[in-house]
Amino acid sequence: MLNTFPVFYPSLLRFKTVSATFSIKKCYPSSLTLIRHYAAPKRFYRKTGILRGDGKFEITLDQRKLKSPKGSPFVIESEPLALAVAAEWDAQKGKIQQSSMHLSGLCSTAIDNPNKLTKSDLVQHIIGCLDTDTVLYQSSEADELYEQQIQEWDPVLKWFCKRYGVKLEAARDISGPIIDQETKNVLTKHLLSYNFWAIHGFSFGVEALKSVILTLCCVERYISIEKAVLLSRLEEEFQSGYWGRVEWAHDLNQQETQARLAAAVLFIHLNSSSTFVQSKKRFATT
Amino acid sequence: MSQGIVRSLRQLLSEIRHISSEKKRQDSLLIKYIMMQFHKHKETDQQLCKAQEEMKFLASSYLCYLQSQRRYEAIYNQYHAKGERSVRETADMVGFKLPHDTK
Repeated sequence: MLNTFPVFYPSLLRFKTVSATFSIKKCYPSSLTLIRHYAAPKRFYRKTGILRGDGKFEITLDQRKLKSPKGSPFVIESEPLALAVAAEWDAQKGKIQQSSMHLSGLCSTAIDNPNKLTKSDLVQHIIGCLDTDTVLYQSSEADELYEQQIQEWDPVLKWFCKRYGVKLEAARDISGPIIDQETKNVLTKHLLSYNFWAIHGFSFGVEALKSVILTLCCVERYISIEKAVLLSRLEEEFQSGYWGRVEWAHDLNQQETQARLAAAVLFIHLNSSSTFVQSKKRFATT
Repeated sequence: MSQGIVRSLRQLLSEIRHISSEKKRQDSLLIKYIMMQFHKHKETDQQLCKAQEEMKFLASSYLCYLQSQRRYEAIYNQYHAKGERSVRETADMVGFKLPHDTK
């Protein structure tokens, strides 16, 4: 029990008082577990806005400019993204809950790149997730779940194969699907055509959905975000339909996955040089 | 503008008003920007316009983002540990009544 006690350094605490405080909550008296809470900082600004300069945008909180966690300037190339980030900061009412600010988080990650990853590292990581893609694992028994998976997942898989000209087949046993190198090469090439920021969005989306295929289908606008999350949670939905749905687990999870995927998709689209974003930029300067 | 776009625009504006600290709609930069985009793509409604399709998708994605976050917060605030619940709160949660409540 002594080992679990957080060590307090008074000198350290003095620096941390602004951003984080510790409190020990006795929620579980029987198990004697200690929970350390990092309190969220209070909102210290009134108005949020954006600054325009050099075709790039920065976020302002009152008079101050927002900085990334590492202290670099928070510079964004897309105006709508900057506005959305400013709105996200404006949405923090009493305390700043940074864990729910996915768009700001994605921007910070792309700016700071804390793990020092290159674009090809990220793409390789994403392609590596293809081997364990949710959609490629179907129920091994001929039951209702299998029928649902065939009905819901197969059209998506077919569209995906046609769109990228690849071959993918779902597996029904524990050995998993066999994906040939050609397929991986095609998808790697496609992902590499996006810029570094957008790839960060892809990685975030794939981790939320546990599926590369569904993420790409969603980014390509073949399925909506709600549909993609539903397909990714198909087995959970099936089981909860049978055993009962618990709001604070199933619904909470669904809403969080939706928010994460929506942030990722927005981030990818707003950072890609599509016709829409270009036309906006031209429009903004006139 | 078609009915679908108008509906999603309205929903989006109402979600933004929900999170925004500005009292007036005109003061919000984001709302100004969205209205500008919707007006700009209005003229090309009759043609097959790639940009408009993309705008619709972005608008519905952003709507989904804001809605999901609001619902997540609502569920979280309802169930997140606040200490022990009173007898009445527990009864309300599972839909029971206390002995002295009226039927």
